[in-house]
Amino acid sequence: MVNTLPQIAALLPVFLLAFTGLALLLVDTISPDARSNTSMAVVGALGSLAALAASVWLVVSGTGSGDTGGAITLFAEAIKVDTLALFFTAIFASVTALVVVAAHDYFHDHKSPAAFYSLTLFAATGMGLLAAANSLAVVFVALEMVSLPSYVLVAYLKRDRGSVEAGMKYFLVGALSSAIFLFGISLVYAATGSLLFGGVAEGIGSLDGLAGVAGLGIVMIIGGVAYKTASVPFHFWAPEAYEGAPAPVSAFLSSASKAAGFVVAFRLFTEAFPVGASLAAGIDWVLAFGILAAVTMTLGNFAAAVQEEVKRMLAYSSIGHAGYVLIGVAALSQDGGANGAVMGAAMAHLLVYGFMNTGAFLFVAMAERWGVGRTFEDYAGLARRAPVASTAMAVFMFSLAGLPPFAGFFSKYFLFMGAIDNGFLWLAAFGAVNSVVSLYYYSRVVKALFIDDPASSSSLDAIDVRPTGLYAAVVFAAVATVLLLPGFGPVIETAEAAASALF
Amino acid sequence: MIDVFSYVPAIVLLPFFSFLIALGVGRYLPKGGAFGGIAATAGSFLLSLWVLATVAGGEAANRTLYTWASAGGIGPTDVELSFGILIDPLSALMLVIVTLVALLVHVFSLGYMNDEGETGLPRYYAGLGLFTASMLGFVVADNLLMAFMFFELVGLCSYLLIGFHFREPGPPSAAKKAFLVTRFGDYFFLIGVVAVIATFGTAQFAGSESFPALADAALNGSGSVAWTPGGVELQTWLTVVGLLVLGGVVGKSAQFPLHTWLPDAMEGPTPVSALIHAATMVAAGVYLVARMYGFYALTPTTLAVIAFIGGFTALFAATMGLVKDELKQVLAYSTISQYGYMMLALGAGGYVAAVFHLTTHAFFKALLFLGAGAVIIAMHHNEDMWDMGGLKSKMPVTYYTFLAGSLALAGIFPFAGFWSKDEILYEALVHGLNDPLLLGGYLMGLLAVPVTAFYTFRMVFLTFHGEPRSDTARDPEPVRWNVKGPLTVLGALAVVTGFINMVPVQKVLGLEGIDLLHLWLDNHWGGIEGLSSHHYGDIGPYSSGYLVGGEVGTVLVGAVVSLGLALAGLAVAWRLYNVPSPTEHTAKLGGIKDVLYNNYYLDELQVWLAYRTEDVAGGANTFDQGIIDGVVNGVSSVSLFGGGRVRRLQSGVVSQYATLLTLGLVALLLALGVTGGWFL
Repeated sequence: MVNTLPQIAALLPVFLLAFTGLALLLVDTISPDARSNTSMAVVGALGSLAALAASVWLVVSGTGSGDTGGAITLFAEAIKVDTLALFFTAIFASVTALVVVAAHDYFHDHKSPAAFYSLTLFAATGMGLLAAANSLAVVFVALEMVSLPSYVLVAYLKRDRGSVEAGMKYFLVGALSSAIFLFGISLVYAATGSLLFGGVAEGIGSLDGLAGVAGLGIVMIIGGVAYKTASVPFHFWAPEAYEGAPAPVSAFLSSASKAAGFVVAFRLFTEAFPVGASLAAGIDWVLAFGILAAVTMTLGNFAAAVQEEVKRMLAYSSIGHAGYVLIGVAALSQDGGANGAVMGAAMAHLLVYGFMNTGAFLFVAMAERWGVGRTFEDYAGLARRAPVASTAMAVFMFSLAGLPPFAGFFSKYFLFMGAIDNGFLWLAAFGAVNSVVSLYYYSRVVKALFIDDPASSSSLDAIDVRPTGLYAAVVFAAVATVLLLPGFGPVIETAEAAASALF
Repeated sequence: MIDVFSYVPAIVLLPFFSFLIALGVGRYLPKGGAFGGIAATAGSFLLSLWVLATVAGGEAANRTLYTWASAGGIGPTDVELSFGILIDPLSALMLVIVTLVALLVHVFSLGYMNDEGETGLPRYYAGLGLFTASMLGFVVADNLLMAFMFFELVGLCSYLLIGFHFREPGPPSAAKKAFLVTRFGDYFFLIGVVAVIATFGTAQFAGSESFPALADAALNGSGSVAWTPGGVELQTWLTVVGLLVLGGVVGKSAQFPLHTWLPDAMEGPTPVSALIHAATMVAAGVYLVARMYGFYALTPTTLAVIAFIGGFTALFAATMGLVKDELKQVLAYSTISQYGYMMLALGAGGYVAAVFHLTTHAFFKALLFLGAGAVIIAMHHNEDMWDMGGLKSKMPVTYYTFLAGSLALAGIFPFAGFWSKDEILYEALVHGLNDPLLLGGYLMGLLAVPVTAFYTFRMVFLTFHGEPRSDTARDPEPVRWNVKGPLTVLGALAVVTGFINMVPVQKVLGLEGIDLLHLWLDNHWGGIEGLSSHHYGDIGPYSSGYLVGGEVGTVLVGAVVSLGLALAGLAVAWRLYNVPSPTEHTAKLGGIKDVLYNNYYLDELQVWLAYRTEDVAGGANTFDQGIIDGVVNGVSSVSLFGGGRVRRLQSGVVSQYATLLTLGLVALLLALGVTGGWFL
């Protein structure tokens, strides 16, 4: 960062997100009846793009990286801004921008769309804060700051029973998970006497018979992380919430919110519970993550293979992807030479995933906007009326499946390579087999779009509008998915540098 | 100073942009996007001339522009894969040829496609643009992998353009055939590319770290290669690699036995045929051998194979051209035959001679095809020569330019083809006197000379001389400037191009400095170290032998014999067909006639082979369905079954979720607790 700026400027992206949210709320309070969908969307998009620009600028100028004096700590070390935090803030801001732009068309006939934008921005603020958290207390507060707007967002279509029911279930499972997480924090505090990550790490090194207490706490914290990332067995909310929620919200939750869960995992399990000290104390959380990763990806992919509705398939596929990313934590080892590589690859996969998965859900949003139906059969022949969007969707599907030459191939490839280098061949093998299964259901979508004949000649007549914002967001996400291929070098380097700094 | 080499990518990109424009908005543009294509190729042509002038001024470029895979980058590789440009005398010359022919073909298309009211013009001009761009990218490629990529793009474009009239039955099938047959060769090429990269760790054409240089060093014992397959001697392995790459060349340059696609490719629009035959697709194969000649020169066996294939193809294709009734069919077989000559030259160590013939052939063959296109316009798309006749007086511009091209093709002094063909035969002769295989190639090449002259002038006489034999021939449709212009330019070139390399005159009269092309390719004005004809001659396996009278005598004997044979062939054609009402004389050939008509039954042989392959494939299919698919289906039914179970778990009841969630957590706690010993 430019040295003349005060240290607090490192939090600029988070502030930008928060101020945008507040501004949106203010406008809505002053003139609640104004149908200002467009201006709200524009302000929201500009705010998130500004946050994206700010975080990219901070990364490029080297803020918080080892070369320029190390991480910046604020507020009595409760906040710590480093490359990792900024990298993830960039992911959050990108997804937020895409979702806000797409939501403009999705909520074109909604009575009060204004609150949607401010809630999304507030959730994004919470994510940004989560990425920079350096204390268990901040982690919990930020996590709730992400969760509470999310519950409302899922239930945002008040008259839609599916939406309301999904919000309710999401909230109940979320409340239970938060309780478990908080309990875990208290146990860890009891065992180590600190809430700061550095202090916890020291405490783990000298537990004096409190290993059981700390271990219980850590497993419960894993539970909280698993909830946020929609990993087994805390995944039950995900299919229902993603399916019932408005599609832009599903995109937001499955991409940004999931990434937020992972940033907590990456930070906690490198800085607060280092591998070496934990193993020495008999707390083998690597094993726990290994089990979770294997079960999560298998369950997600197998369940996705039998779904009839595209959105629900995407929901399960999103669980499957959480399983892949968990490899980034599960394949760590004490003196593993590839620790930074595998975690960096997981981060890069989250970035790529942010674009391709958001894009896929936004395509579903577009289909909902057209009203063509939700099942694979309903998508038959869409490419004839909407070739651009269908091509973009095909890019997302193949990239999600991890086919070359799309970006999803490279991130997955690096992830599996890192796992193998660290001696976790079995995890990589699990991932590979699951990728094969995933190709089946992803290509079903492409087959429906491009090859199948529509059920009847009139069934495509529903496609009578070209929602500009949705199109722009979908096409942008597709272009990003493709462009990340030549641009993958810098991304993986930044990600690996950020991850290596944690070890 | 402005660095011209930074504009080299623009030479490739300009036609590519015209492709994008024609594809995207061509239907809203006048003439279906033709002007964009003309402007783009004209721009590329001017830039190429600039590059040529710069290279003549002693500069050359071998630059890597973009590395898309390298150690530490994407993939765990120790090999750098990159895009780059290699501009030396050879590629500069080729750039000018390709852009000039492409420009003229674009202009000609205005007359052939637009004026004839064809539909789908944006698609046509998009195809032409991409075709030109691919070929130019291939020409400037600085490494084998990049060359392979553009080589494949060239193949794809030929598929698109040959099948342009896709609603008729013939063109799609011809397009598929062209695609599949050349693809068959390209499989070997691809394996060859991988073998080169695996063997040398690089695919660069030029420089001290290039694969020809590394191969040379390894054979000298002053270096080593990164890898050879276990136990194989280096020389043998290099020969294998050379032959693998040659597979792609044989396919693209339509050499025996993969030549069968080319006559069928006449189904494409005639300007496309001109482009394919003169400057792009077919030329790509020969150009590739010339580009990596430093590698081929190291492996005598490969050279001998190239020479023999070339000589054989030259004769073999020429004989099939004897009996064809359609104008473009004759030209198609002549193309195969002429590229056979080039391969003969390359195999015989006549690098310059091959490039020379590539140059002259590009001009006179483009001329002949465009002339044939003009005739086809005039004849309302009837291509049967037996329906023509007497067109000489009706379309004088076409006649005289076509005649110039024919004289060049037949190798009559002093037209362009004479000089280049004579040099090829001379090289094959002097090197072949010590090498029986090469001498065989030479003899076949020599025998093809009168045959070529005969079928060429049979074509000329049937088309233009005698009495008109149909109503359309009596009253042909006139052609416009956009047809005559390109013909005139190419006609002039067909006459004069030979003078850039008058080696026989130099040798006989002892004049220095009139063998411009020799000097050009020998880096006389500058170039890149290790890419000169001299270097190739030094590392090549051949030594020269002479007939009576030493060098001068051999030159004279060779030239007189080939010119005499050409004139003899011409005379026979004159005698038989330059009469008011020519008749078919094919019956005199007896049984051979059917063999020639049916192209030696090679198509039938390939079909038979394809069916036998199908039988083998059937066996593999059974294995695949039974064993491989069995496993795959097993996995999928397990996953679908498992998925169904999971689906049932997702009951929709929140209290069940909470229970399962808690149980899961407890299970995890117990597992870790027991292994970690927390409860002790």
